[in-house]
Amino acid sequence: MLDERIKKITAHFNQDISAVKDTKQLEELRLKFLSRNGLVSQLFDELKNASKEEKPVLGKLLNALRNEVTEKFNLLKDHIDSLEKESVEKIDLSLPGFERTIGSKHLLIQTLNEIKSIFKGLGFSVIEGPELESDYNNFGALNFPPDHPARDMQDTFFINSDFLLRTHTSPVQIRIMEKTKPPVRAIMPGRVYRNEAISSRSYCVFHQVEGLYVDNDVTFAELKGTLVAFAHQFYGENLKYRFRPSFFPFTEPSAEMDITCFLCHGKGCKVCKHSGWLEILGCGMVDPNVFDNVNYDHEQYTGYAFGMGIERTALLKYGIDDIRVFFDNDFRFLKQF
Amino acid sequence: MKVSLNWLKEYVDLENIPVQEIVHKLTMSGLEVEDYVDENELYKDFIVGYVKEKKKHPNADKLSVCIVNTGTEDLQVICGAPNVETGQKIVFAPIGTIIPNGNFKINKAKIRGVESFGMICSEAELELSNDHSGIMVLTEEVNVGKSIVKELELNDVILEIAITPNRSDALSHIGVAKDLASIFNKEFHLPEYTLHESAKKVKELASVEIVDKINCPRYTAKVVKNITVKDSPDWLKKRLTKIGLRPINNIVDVTNFVMYELGQPLHAFDLDKLNGQKIVVKSTETETVFTTLDSKERKLPKGTLMICDSEKPVAIAGVMGGENSEINNSTKNILIESAHFNPSSIRKTSKALGLSTEASYRFERWVDPSSTLLAAERAAQLIADLGNGEIAHGSLDNYPEKIKEKEVLLRFERVYKILGFQIPKEKILQILKKLGLKIIFESENENRFLVPTFRPDLEREIDLIEEIARIFGYDNIPTISKISISLGEKIDETAFEDAIRDYSCSLGFYEMVNNPLQKEQFASLIGNKIQILNPQSLDMAFLRTSLIPSALGVVAKNINVGEKNLRLFEIGNVFNLKNEKKEIKNFEDFSENQKLIFIVTGKIQDKTWNFPEKYFDFYDLKGYINSLLIKISLDNVLNDSYYHNGDSIFDFYFTKNYEKVEIGVGGKVKKDVLKQFDIQQDVFCFEFDLSKLKKIKANSKKYLEPLKFPKSIRDFAFIFDNSVTYEEVIKFIKKSSSELLKSVNLFDLFESETLGKNKKSMAFSLEYYSEERTLTEEEIEKDFNYLIEKIKTNFSAILRGA
Repeated sequence: MLDERIKKITAHFNQDISAVKDTKQLEELRLKFLSRNGLVSQLFDELKNASKEEKPVLGKLLNALRNEVTEKFNLLKDHIDSLEKESVEKIDLSLPGFERTIGSKHLLIQTLNEIKSIFKGLGFSVIEGPELESDYNNFGALNFPPDHPARDMQDTFFINSDFLLRTHTSPVQIRIMEKTKPPVRAIMPGRVYRNEAISSRSYCVFHQVEGLYVDNDVTFAELKGTLVAFAHQFYGENLKYRFRPSFFPFTEPSAEMDITCFLCHGKGCKVCKHSGWLEILGCGMVDPNVFDNVNYDHEQYTGYAFGMGIERTALLKYGIDDIRVFFDNDFRFLKQF
Repeated sequence: MKVSLNWLKEYVDLENIPVQEIVHKLTMSGLEVEDYVDENELYKDFIVGYVKEKKKHPNADKLSVCIVNTGTEDLQVICGAPNVETGQKIVFAPIGTIIPNGNFKINKAKIRGVESFGMICSEAELELSNDHSGIMVLTEEVNVGKSIVKELELNDVILEIAITPNRSDALSHIGVAKDLASIFNKEFHLPEYTLHESAKKVKELASVEIVDKINCPRYTAKVVKNITVKDSPDWLKKRLTKIGLRPINNIVDVTNFVMYELGQPLHAFDLDKLNGQKIVVKSTETETVFTTLDSKERKLPKGTLMICDSEKPVAIAGVMGGENSEINNSTKNILIESAHFNPSSIRKTSKALGLSTEASYRFERWVDPSSTLLAAERAAQLIADLGNGEIAHGSLDNYPEKIKEKEVLLRFERVYKILGFQIPKEKILQILKKLGLKIIFESENENRFLVPTFRPDLEREIDLIEEIARIFGYDNIPTISKISISLGEKIDETAFEDAIRDYSCSLGFYEMVNNPLQKEQFASLIGNKIQILNPQSLDMAFLRTSLIPSALGVVAKNINVGEKNLRLFEIGNVFNLKNEKKEIKNFEDFSENQKLIFIVTGKIQDKTWNFPEKYFDFYDLKGYINSLLIKISLDNVLNDSYYHNGDSIFDFYFTKNYEKVEIGVGGKVKKDVLKQFDIQQDVFCFEFDLSKLKKIKANSKKYLEPLKFPKSIRDFAFIFDNSVTYEEVIKFIKKSSSELLKSVNLFDLFESETLGKNKKSMAFSLEYYSEERTLTEEEIEKDFNYLIEKIKTNFSAILRGA
């Protein structure tokens, strides 16, 4: 009998509570079920009439009922209270929030870091070298003979006849090899200088990343594989590439790597000079003369080296048409990236 | 270098090979075709037209209305050229044709009210020459209605090839042809000519003496007599104009033609102007003034290699001839010079004079010493043919010490070791033979080759391996898909600066990258500047000594464009002489340090609906620096020094020091410094020496268990003399307290008249706790009261609210 009524009252309560919308109805609900004379108390009164055997079971059921009803009531009360409170001190949620400034790294550094992280993943260390270099490290040790036209490839700012502003990051190769025995696997990012007229396409200062790997059995095939892996990660999986013979005094064989122009997808456009290809880096096998200059045995060791410009890469990637933008440091530019 | 495909075909059979493939293969073998013009494409829509009728334009004086017959129809065409006449055969561009010069399309047009259905073209419009004085009038023989590609033989392909400095052999048509023969496995043949010499012996007409045998290993001369200097025939003019040269006369044109054909620069002297009919090759012993054939007087340094006659210099060897021996229209007898000069001697002269010519460009890269005679004979025969001259018998060929062909050993396993791929031996031999190398020794594992003298770049085994790879095709060498990585130590020297960048960004700073080259005025502000020997401009004649000047430059530029609130940082190298009077002789004479600059100006906080505006001040700067140091765990390692009186850059500033060595300095930038940059608002900046900061060992981080016991806070405020600094008070509080005092925070600071003259109030809150137990009220009180009494007596301070 009593257990039937417990179920009934539970259902009754659940039905009533779902209709409660405000404090007034809430108070009505409380009076009806939870007050001294409420329905729940009445059930407890009836417990007295139950048999000795039934009492503990029914008592448990009744306690559970009371707990459930109280809990549900309190939850709803909190909810209604908070709603009413808000309606009293209502705030304009559409007002602007208080924004904090997070700065950003220069776009060139961001691009450089992307390149760095790819090569670090391929087991390369990251090494730096000075910008004010000796003529020997910049040219001589890298197999540029004095009075050789190869020097014309890189217009140089000189400090005097023996010191200059490095024209490429390749002298860091010499510095590493002079200090360490093979194996050497490192990239060398940094700033370089060329005495070239400033225009939208060229600036007298720019950034390069140099790469060097020397060990017992480094091959041209591995050079190709490594650089293709890099290009796929950096420029996208679907690109086509090619390696074209070129000339650098410090590598032999030397090559330049082109990828399909990602602006025209190889059809030919202004950016790729209608060739469909974009040159992204120079590379090659370390010339034996360079090994001789750093006292590496060129019979035992072979190695590859590569170098790429950061500015050009960033120009292409972000659709910037004037290299000078990188060095103007216009705040409106800096904030964009 | 411009190369004509039709010209190349004289030496190698390229029939039926598509232009695209030639371009691709050349590029892929190292002769990069940067651009090319296919005339067959360019001129495909132009036809020969016939001017049937010419009338004056009714509304324009300078225009004519022509009726042009195109072979199939008569079209009305407006023409503005003064030389158009009835009866002419002309080049006609029908509607839809693209005009090469300007790259525009011909449309049906109404010109001053009269319709026009096409265009009559000038040479300039067709890019055949610069002549735009009138239309191009064709000869009678051409057929009306036919394509000009056929009728005018505009069927060449002009390749623009970038020749790398090692490939001097490719600076000519035969050089490129040899590579093509190798690439396509075709036969290569030298130009054919038959030498017709007169009975007169050359030795009776002239003589050659080499004094400087080191700088002139070979000098070959031929003499041609009784020539007539005149215009070159069309075929020769065409050859030259196609590759961008201007025809001059039959003598000069032949020397140019042979240079572009064989790669040997030639010079023709007027033999009658050579004193004693003698050539003497020697280097100058004193500085000499000499007038070159461009009528410029040039000062030649001592040691310049010159071509002289028996009395005077007549040419700067390998660079440019002299005015005094130049060919002119009345020249009758010529001496053709075909020599091999020491590349570095020519390069020195060319550099010293700032004069680079087609000849010097080739000589300084190496001209084949074995072909001087061939080139001289080829030129002599052409000149004799085109100028009705007679070639003297024999040649003057002075070659005291023959330059030998080099021997190079190739071990076949080395090809594999370098390339990682085995190219079959037969293929290797085929490639090298086609490039002109001869086998002088053969075995299973290695071959010895003799390298022709036109390939100075092939000296070592590795050079041969490159040739093999290049002709075999880099793309045919497999790309491996797996690499092995050694487990040795990896280092990242940029990790520290990258961390600094991250923290700087999180403090709201934006990164700059500035040009380290700057003007003297800026480089002079701080340090000992280093000058560039050959600057581009005075604005970039010095290396920066500090990051401050360029950062101020950026601030100024941004304020100018309305960006007045700036928070910027930069990491970059600065350069200083160690001793300003001492020139750089080695790396010890200068420093190159990596620096970090923070620079702020304007507002840190704009006024918003819920915040008042706030301008950057000294304490913001100091706060940024300290926040950064906390992140890199150096906050307790470095200490501060404060300077009220400022220096040449700052009104007032502070430094960060490590063991008494200054690591960083910054403060409020002086007005007169800002004035130099045209900045009118306050600027604060701080420059760290990152090279030094990097080396300081940070406190290693250890886990601290969160506190289990309550903290007790006590506050007090004192009235101090104005001269008492925060730092003194803090130090005193710490000194006068037990280890239970864990931190002190200044939460209020003010001056007011009610406090008295030169007085200030400082209010501190003090935090007491122990990691081991809960403190009793009594022990805290004891500490706190003791401190109060000490402060009172030590600073003569008055406890407020007491």
